[in-house]
Amino acid sequence: MNKMNCKFIWGKLPNEIISSPFRPASRLFILGFLLIIFSSLNAFGQVKKVAGTVTDAETNEPVISATVLVKGKKAAATTDAQGNFSIAASEGDVLEISSVGYKTMEVSPDFNLTMQIKLTATNRELGAVVVVGYGTRKRSDVTGSVASVPKARLSQLPVTNVLHAIEGSVAGVNITQTSSVPGSSASVLIRGQNTITAGTGPFIVVDGIPFSKTGAVTNDINPNDIASIEILKDASATAIYGVNGANGVILITTKRGTTGRPVIRYNAYMGFDNIAHMLEPLSPQAYVKKYADWWKQVNPTQTQTNVLPNAYEIANYNAGKTVDWVDEATQQGIIQDHNLSISGGTKEVKYFLSGDYMKQKGAVKGYQYHRASLRANLDVNVTDYLSTGTSLSYANNNYDGGRVNFYLAAAMSPYGTEYSSTGAYEIYPMYPELLYANPMLGLNTDRTDRSNNLTGNGYVEIKPLGLLKGLKFRFNAGYTYVTTRFGSYTGRNANNTLGAANASSSETNNWVIENILTYNRSWGVHQIDFTGLYSAQERNYFTFGASATGFINDELSFNRLEAGATQTATSYRDKYDLLSQMARVNYSYDGRYLLTLTARRDGSSVMGANTDKYGVFPSAALAWNISKERFMQNIKLVDNLKVRGSYGKSGNEAIGVYGTITTEGTVRFPFGGASTIGVLASNLGNADLHWESSNTFNAGVDFSILKSRITGTIDIYNTRTEGLLLRRNLPIITGYSFVLDNLGKTKNNGVEVTLNTVNITTKDFKWESTINFSSNKNRIVDLYGDKKDDLGNRWFIGQPISVIYDYKMAGVWQTGEDRSQTDPTAKDGDLKFVDMNGDKQITAADRIVLGQTAPKWIGGLTNTFHYKNFHLNVFIQTFQGAIKNNVTLTYADEAGRMNLPVATGYWTAENKNNTRPSLAYTNSRGYGYASDNSYTRIKDVTLSYTFSQNILDKLRLGSLTLYASGRNLYTFTDWIGWDPEHNYSFRGSGDWTNNYPITRSIVFGANVTLR
Amino acid sequence: MKKNLIIILAVSAGLQFFSSCKKDFLDEDVYSAYAPETLTDSLGFEASIVGLHNHLSTFFSYSDPQGWPSVWHAGTDIAFVPPTQKQGIEVPYYDYNQLISTDGAASFTWGWAYRMINNANIIIVNADNPNLGGMTLTNKNSISAEAKFFRAYAYNILATCFGGVPISTAPLTAPKTDFVRAPLDSVNSLIIRDLTFATANLTDVTALGSTNKTHPNGKPASRANKYMAMQLLAEVYLRANKPDLAEQQCAAIISSGKFALVNARYGIKASQPGDYYSDMFWFGNERRYQGNREAIWVMEQENPTSVTGGITNNPQQRRNWGAAYYQITGMTICDSLGGRGIARMRLTDWVVYGLYENNDVRNSHYNLRRKFYYNTPGNPNYGLQVPYTGADTVFKIAPHTTKWYQYDPNDVFGFAMIKDFILMRLGETYLLQAEAQFRQNKFTEAAASLNVIRARANATPVTAGQVTLDYILDERARELLAEENRRMTLMRTGTLVTRTSTRNVQTINPVLGLTAKNLLMPIPQSEINLNKDAILEQNPGY
Repeated sequence: MNKMNCKFIWGKLPNEIISSPFRPASRLFILGFLLIIFSSLNAFGQVKKVAGTVTDAETNEPVISATVLVKGKKAAATTDAQGNFSIAASEGDVLEISSVGYKTMEVSPDFNLTMQIKLTATNRELGAVVVVGYGTRKRSDVTGSVASVPKARLSQLPVTNVLHAIEGSVAGVNITQTSSVPGSSASVLIRGQNTITAGTGPFIVVDGIPFSKTGAVTNDINPNDIASIEILKDASATAIYGVNGANGVILITTKRGTTGRPVIRYNAYMGFDNIAHMLEPLSPQAYVKKYADWWKQVNPTQTQTNVLPNAYEIANYNAGKTVDWVDEATQQGIIQDHNLSISGGTKEVKYFLSGDYMKQKGAVKGYQYHRASLRANLDVNVTDYLSTGTSLSYANNNYDGGRVNFYLAAAMSPYGTEYSSTGAYEIYPMYPELLYANPMLGLNTDRTDRSNNLTGNGYVEIKPLGLLKGLKFRFNAGYTYVTTRFGSYTGRNANNTLGAANASSSETNNWVIENILTYNRSWGVHQIDFTGLYSAQERNYFTFGASATGFINDELSFNRLEAGATQTATSYRDKYDLLSQMARVNYSYDGRYLLTLTARRDGSSVMGANTDKYGVFPSAALAWNISKERFMQNIKLVDNLKVRGSYGKSGNEAIGVYGTITTEGTVRFPFGGASTIGVLASNLGNADLHWESSNTFNAGVDFSILKSRITGTIDIYNTRTEGLLLRRNLPIITGYSFVLDNLGKTKNNGVEVTLNTVNITTKDFKWESTINFSSNKNRIVDLYGDKKDDLGNRWFIGQPISVIYDYKMAGVWQTGEDRSQTDPTAKDGDLKFVDMNGDKQITAADRIVLGQTAPKWIGGLTNTFHYKNFHLNVFIQTFQGAIKNNVTLTYADEAGRMNLPVATGYWTAENKNNTRPSLAYTNSRGYGYASDNSYTRIKDVTLSYTFSQNILDKLRLGSLTLYASGRNLYTFTDWIGWDPEHNYSFRGSGDWTNNYPITRSIVFGANVTLR
Repeated sequence: MKKNLIIILAVSAGLQFFSSCKKDFLDEDVYSAYAPETLTDSLGFEASIVGLHNHLSTFFSYSDPQGWPSVWHAGTDIAFVPPTQKQGIEVPYYDYNQLISTDGAASFTWGWAYRMINNANIIIVNADNPNLGGMTLTNKNSISAEAKFFRAYAYNILATCFGGVPISTAPLTAPKTDFVRAPLDSVNSLIIRDLTFATANLTDVTALGSTNKTHPNGKPASRANKYMAMQLLAEVYLRANKPDLAEQQCAAIISSGKFALVNARYGIKASQPGDYYSDMFWFGNERRYQGNREAIWVMEQENPTSVTGGITNNPQQRRNWGAAYYQITGMTICDSLGGRGIARMRLTDWVVYGLYENNDVRNSHYNLRRKFYYNTPGNPNYGLQVPYTGADTVFKIAPHTTKWYQYDPNDVFGFAMIKDFILMRLGETYLLQAEAQFRQNKFTEAAASLNVIRARANATPVTAGQVTLDYILDERARELLAEENRRMTLMRTGTLVTRTSTRNVQTINPVLGLTAKNLLMPIPQSEINLNKDAILEQNPGY
């Protein structure tokens, strides 16, 4: 950081600036800037002040950035985030209040009261205010690609994680829920994968304060508290997040209080979680037959000696005892959520308080998740020039509980022994088979897994009215404190004869401060809007863990580690810092021509010591509101038409903390029975490492035709990412196998379409649709600068980043087929692969790129039907054009000892199956069984009834909605397995806790507002 | 008031601006890992040497491919792989047609050796730094000697397996991609230089019969001693065709009086059925201070449930060598049968039926188990011998060495084998001496050396006229079965092809495609590819 110079000074005021030891050039610049602003100050004479609030006549929500003009005079004002304005006017003047998407209104000023002005919406979409980074913009003024998550996705859905609600609903945003495990999150990819080795997840910001990289997890956000979610996709929108912007940005805004009488709201649902798709294991009879078939295929010359392989199985077979393991392992899942919120406020103080309790009992025994959360959002107008507020939240996640191993349950012999003679779980149900332990043993383990997130953000906003009109200074300070705690104990009854305990905890402290200076002014047709930022962020992480083994008995669980004979401890600490400056200028000419220029300069601690640690990320965007042109005024077909274009650069920090530094790690070795500490070279550092940068071009059009019956957005983009952080492999003669370096290049092209249509609208019936479609084409442009593929990592230039590179399967070798010309060593029932290079044998050289694991296109279709007070919302999601290795089809060399699903089947000489190998096939080539995992899912169906006013009056309620909602109702797919979207692992690899069936939830809920 | 407020805010903004603008705000402090420069004092060096011992063990405990131990024995004269028990990494070492330049075992061996060399280089170069304060010359030399022993050990494996290889004697500070292979002579010279330094500067051992857990210099007994360096040097001299020098080293070890062949019962199993030879291979008996007078170098292991870091990975020797008797109904995994084996290797018929005299103690059923008895209580056949039937003898009740027996009642499945590795013992010293003498045509002396071993084993003495290289290698198999790295011995002596093709002749999973080129392993293709600024020549035929 030697070259650091403090060029940006946002958040400092004039007297401070002048006394600062800045270089003359920057001082001159600042003075000049201020001079321009001062010169535009208007002094008002014999006029009085009018104050008021502009709200939407229907929803009562404030109308933000509405223009208030004194007709025929120069005076103009815009409403703030609460819809408030104040303007100077004289007796007899007429105020004209206008806002995009609303009918313009004219009123006489009222000098005595705070005026309540209600505007009638013509197109709520256009008038909507969207949150953009470090501020808000009216939808019609947005120049970049910013998508809003439909509000319907934010309520009446049985989702525990906000990402689950977004899945499939926004073009260009691919969310994959890789598991139905209660409390599991999802992975998000916005506009394809840019980076090869670095994180691909978007940067999440909650209420303006960074959420990602603070140690927080998305489960910490209570979906009920969310007011809106915006997704920034193009460089113009993301560049203001600089080194964190390249993967897209998700902006989440929580609900805040509004003026008016208090609203007490109770939202609750309760329902059932069940296995949506059962992959039935073989029945006992079929299992016996499978063993006979296996025997015949593996030992063709010998007669089968036993009906089943293991002593316990034989005994149970002879006794006629069977176990339905899947049935034993599962239970009725239950999900419920209760949310109570109170909001309200006066002109001076507004509040939103919310408490939530969510509890989910999994469909597989032992799995559960519950969360308690609280939120208090407060806004106070202290004086006319000073306001302040807070956003406080607390969430407690609890994933406790020993869990059944569902993988084993599905693989266990139906002739296994579940309980021993003492009534306890038999450790090895298929004894003497020791590879397959009882799937229920997890229920005998103690397990605690919790996390807490306490977040406190505060702001102070000053409008130095006397100084400069339109100038605003905002100071944000945020603090996030995240703790986790984990404990587990496995004792004798869970197959550990010594008893093993471990406990660990972690603490992440994250602070951020932001100084934001905004200035916005209009002169006639010119409007300028400036935002400047100076911010700093720091994260401190510390974790500590200990484990012990060798307990006298299982009484103490993990509550007294020193009672174990052997203890080990681990700890780790790191620190991360980010220092940022940003400036953005929006200029609008008559609302027709819009320009946005942004630049962000980020300094991050993770960059190499030889770099200056700073990166600059500029962008520019232009938009043309064609429909505001005079020549469009007579074209009734078109209500709104805007074209946009942007180009810019954003970054991905990519490097892990300390990734650039050469370090030695510690190891242990015993001498004479004493454990001794040793050190070994671990990481070869590279002090030249820097961020990855993405240059994105985006062009878009927003339109609304036929009196807003059809509105939509189309975007195309091209992103080129360079300086990708890769492991540059080294000859190990150096002592190291790789060094990190900024080498690779990728590109992503895509198109995104969102359409909202009102298909039918009559007095009692209305049918609306929302369609989103997006397609992304991802390519590796270069890897190591030498245009060579990386076979080891399966990275190929010109191919998508994630591909499956494997043999091409052509069928199964049938008895008598001549294989001498392709695969001479293949036996009957082996998989038949294509000899791609024609060398008459199947070798590693015959592998090809079979396809990509990212979808070629994704889409969502929402149909909403309203009939009187009934509303039916049907959401269908689709994922197309991807392949994935199918673990369910693999049994390695374990076909003779495990149960298999009915649906997969296997080859026999008689059935001549041409898709599945024989049971003797051990897959020595490591074929991954890549299969098409495209699917279309009826994701959510919600039927709701909104009670009408007269009934509410009788019940003395403000509002009441009852609904029933179903999730994961049906999936159309060719995939053979538990689910095409979920990830599964084979025994002994990966994380078995994710081997969990997809669940279908049916819930019933009520949203009540008290009077 | 407004003005005051603005001033307060301005000052606060200015303060945070300057505090966060400090130059070091973005500097990184590594809290949880050592920077190499912090390790150049006595304790730092000691820890670095412990690191080398740790790294050494990973060659023996490698278990990611479970067939790793089979790589070094199956497909030689002593063992083959039962078809149902193959894992994968060992397959090219009996079906040599599949031994190509992307081979996994060759790649691991190469990488392991160069990691050892890099870590040793860091120590050697740091210890040579004249500005190093606070350490005596003796201390520095002893550190340097131990590092040089390990560097030589790694280079010797490279030279044996690959021939002449690139030489690196200093740690790198930047990536390097222009390595070239050095002539074998240069590699040998470096090894000999390092070992000569090591023999002069490493510690002596305690007096014979001592139960001290430490060397005379106070370091733990399994840290390097000078005899380790001497025995390794003897082997290197043999490989470099300097048998006279090899003989000197062996003679010096033998005449030191610090070691003696085990010829009487001792240790934890002394009162149980067994013999003095089998006593050496029980965990608890293997170390010098546990009574193993023959041990020169024992790599110690401990059960990680009682000693943290007791093993590095999950050693697979028991699973590879032991029989899968548990698969026989009526057989239960137990201590006396050595825990759970899965027989990834089976001894060749030459070993089982042709190698030993009947009364050779190394052939006793305590050392080479051939018969099994039903041991599950309540089984109708309890106590009866398990009959030999077909494929069962290939892996379920396969005759096998008991040297890697190990049983932990708390971990019957036993993915990891937890026991010491006897890496050098006096028995081998006599065999190396015999080989050195034979190569100088000192047949009488060679026979005498061999007969020391044979007499201990209760075997018929050999005559001078019977001594051939094959006889010596047969004797090595008899004495060091499953202990020595058989493949490296045969590669070193150039006998891999002749001996394997005449002694590993069974028809199930036969040895295929073995030719003279296999006397060296292929240089890993990835190394050739990554070394883009110079040509790293491949061994002929690959």
